[in-house]
Amino acid sequence: MGYILEGISDAIKLLLSFDQEIYTIIALSMYVSFASTLISAFIGIPLGFILGLKDFKGKRIFARFLNTAMSLPPVVVGLVVTIFLARRGPLGQFRLLFTPAAMIIAQTLLVLPIIMGVIFNSSRDKGTEVEKMCLTLGANKLDTLLILVKEMRANILVAITSGFGRAISEVGAVMIVGGNIKNHTRVMTTFIAMNHSMGNYSTSIAMGLVLLGISFIVNAILYGRITGTGD
Amino acid sequence: MEITLKNIKKSYNHKTVLNIPDFRFTKGKIYGIIGPNGAGKSTLLKTIARLEALSEGEILYNHQPFRKAILKDMTYLTQKPFLFAASVRENISYPLKFRQYKRDEINFLVERIISEFSIEHLANQLATKLSGGEAQRVALARALIFNPQILLLDEPTSNMDPNSIEIIEKIILKYNQNKDKMILFITHNVGQAKRVCDEVIYLENGIIVESGKAKTVIEAPKSENLRRFLALEYYVN
Repeated sequence: MGYILEGISDAIKLLLSFDQEIYTIIALSMYVSFASTLISAFIGIPLGFILGLKDFKGKRIFARFLNTAMSLPPVVVGLVVTIFLARRGPLGQFRLLFTPAAMIIAQTLLVLPIIMGVIFNSSRDKGTEVEKMCLTLGANKLDTLLILVKEMRANILVAITSGFGRAISEVGAVMIVGGNIKNHTRVMTTFIAMNHSMGNYSTSIAMGLVLLGISFIVNAILYGRITGTGD
Repeated sequence: MEITLKNIKKSYNHKTVLNIPDFRFTKGKIYGIIGPNGAGKSTLLKTIARLEALSEGEILYNHQPFRKAILKDMTYLTQKPFLFAASVRENISYPLKFRQYKRDEINFLVERIISEFSIEHLANQLATKLSGGEAQRVALARALIFNPQILLLDEPTSNMDPNSIEIIEKIILKYNQNKDKMILFITHNVGQAKRVCDEVIYLENGIIVESGKAKTVIEAPKSENLRRFLALEYYVN
């Protein structure tokens, strides 16, 4: 119990220490997570809508694959990305391995199926109903699209928050493709894992609390947008 | 406006749920569509509204094949109305916004129909929080506001109390008082079909078993199946 309280006190000290390394880690975590969520949202939301609303052959099998991809093991994704980005790999010429860009690529592969899956599943049910209703009221394609986005704004924000939650809390893939290099690819989760393996529990707890705090604030802001209250 | 059904068939998983060789709906009439559950009543309206594709055959609108412009003159009111997550007033205004009406005109028409439907007390409420009967009233107001030539109503009063049913029936009759609209009206209430409709169609297993003047079909049914159906409906209602 003592070291938990010590961890909380260390968390406060850690933040108040204004240690540049800590703030670099926090900033890099935010950058990588926001970038991968943003890229995934730009690709996943329109694709999720289109595929969810459109009837096509093999849609049920596609849905199963997508739902499976929503829980892709991060370590496997990290491994695959490493194989592709390694010097001898097909994308080795870009020298991206052990850079924040590689971490964004790995996280995008993890976040994209989540965002696309949430939108795909919700638009398959509610979206089809909205689309049909718009048709009976004489809406054109643009009107229908605007109504769809408006009606499904809660689903869109849930998809984004779920994706961001996956990105910010992810450790396996970023550890493999980033390498946890100090002041370069070290993020909050890899910092926690490293300190834990070194036996620095209070430092791990301290960074864990910071991570929790950031997740809470980001979720509160996004869910505030859903309810319109900021609650 | 006239709608002609030409050899239409609709099948799901090799089971035919609608099979009408030839039928014509004409302007100025209110058609009541009656029949047991699974008779194909809703499927018929959905195929006319282009919400479901036909398996075979063709539907002609004013002797012409379907054109997108038809959708601007036709609306379908579902059994369980879907209202958007906005106020009742905003919901009712959507069809006018889709048709590029001016803001002043929208405000005037929305307020007029709200008063006609006696739903002033609901105007500012969130439409998704309404009861079943209230939602049906709002959905009908939204359907009528743009003055569609073809009105497809799927049990529009099924969740309403008798007072609301009376209001809605009067509104529907008034809507066609100039005999310039076509209304297809699914109902399980035979009394309502007699009160509101000019003609009645009895569907069973996707086939039109009997059709004609509402009074004649209901009071002097020719087929044994319709007689049995009416007897049960009278017993229940």
